[in-house]
Amino acid sequence: MKIDREICIACGLCVPYCPMAAISMDDVAVIDQDECADCGVCLKSGICPVDCIYFEPAPWPRSLRATFSDPTTEHKETRITGRGTEEMKTNDVTGRFKRGWVGVGCELGRPGIGARFRDVDKVAQVLAKQGVEFELKNPVTFLMEDTKTGKLREDVLNEKVLSAIIECIFPIEKFKEVITALKGVSKKVDTVFSVECINRADLDGSYPLKKLLNELGIPYYINGKQNVGLGRPLAEGEDL
Amino acid sequence: MTHTSHRRGSAESLSEDYIVLMNTAIGINDEDHVPKLQGFLRIALRHNPKNIGSVTMGSMDHHKPEEVMANAHEIGHAVFDNEEAVTEVLKELKDADLGLSVVVSGIFEGVDECLEKAGLKHHTANFSLGIWGRTEKLPSDDTLEVTTMCGHALISANLVKAMVEEIKAGTKTPEEAARTLAPNCACGVFNPARAAKLLAIMAK
Repeated sequence: MKIDREICIACGLCVPYCPMAAISMDDVAVIDQDECADCGVCLKSGICPVDCIYFEPAPWPRSLRATFSDPTTEHKETRITGRGTEEMKTNDVTGRFKRGWVGVGCELGRPGIGARFRDVDKVAQVLAKQGVEFELKNPVTFLMEDTKTGKLREDVLNEKVLSAIIECIFPIEKFKEVITALKGVSKKVDTVFSVECINRADLDGSYPLKKLLNELGIPYYINGKQNVGLGRPLAEGEDL
Repeated sequence: MTHTSHRRGSAESLSEDYIVLMNTAIGINDEDHVPKLQGFLRIALRHNPKNIGSVTMGSMDHHKPEEVMANAHEIGHAVFDNEEAVTEVLKELKDADLGLSVVVSGIFEGVDECLEKAGLKHHTANFSLGIWGRTEKLPSDDTLEVTTMCGHALISANLVKAMVEEIKAGTKTPEEAARTLAPNCACGVFNPARAAKLLAIMAK
């Protein structure tokens, strides 16, 4: 995002709108280009009384900032807007998460801190060492040089985004070791990340993962998301 | 997209914060899906939602509900402040059999009750294990309760603080402050009614 210095009247109204706190006041408003994630909140808020905020589409790799940070931008590779995928939201139809498996999503930079891809890279490589399967439709997976190692392309590592999600699946038997590995790498990143776990209900409606979380003493929020099985056609082999 | 996950707050506050989503599965049931999304939003509007929205259009904080419906695409959302409304919406969605996936986000125990009353079963759950890493960088818990209602992180902590100061100064009511925050959430999953309550507490 940029500010036209010739038009800016230095009112400062835009400053608090930036989720990355990248706007400051000098003689006019100034956007720290290294910290700006090109999310477009300052522009789309319409807060500028003289319309001096503008966006110039950037070349690769900076172009990643807008595609990851502005949820109205569609990723060309996945045709999905936003930062992740349909994940469990369409699991009744896609069958992506089967019984006996767990999905984990690590959203680097969330909530509200932002992340460089170098930290995404650290977490992805740790997950890869656990033998997880990365979600092929996830935009972070598209940035990997090799999905066996989780290593991201070198040229994207310094780019900053509001957040980026690593999505993977693995058999539930591996859950404890994957979570332990994530705990380890959480001390080595320079940002925060929100962690989610996805599990298909058993035929009796219970979630084996919930039982496991309780057994392992791993805290989880009282709130979350549940797919209620109304999508059609049902995924192959699905039994509600 | 995990944009309705990781919402923070007390059980009391989260008991007024439920989101129902309808989602297409790309490449499977995304043909002719728009009338189905519109049908969903129409059902939602009958039960006094605190917000509705679609990522392609935004929310009813800055568009009329009919505009949101007319431009819905791919995914629709509706936010409610009570379990009774969620239950009724689910009953109607079950009867309407629109054929797109439905997700309910909220307190698990509350959602379980809604599902049972609506005659629906759990299919798949998404549990939040919270925030890891450099948590010392985070704003205060009360600020996070507001900002995490936009899962895309488009509502800045500094804007929340600015709104609290405006409430303290008497230049905005909590409701006006919440309505200033809400349009920044691009897809309409922000709950302005809950935000107003949280902001009022923060301003005391």
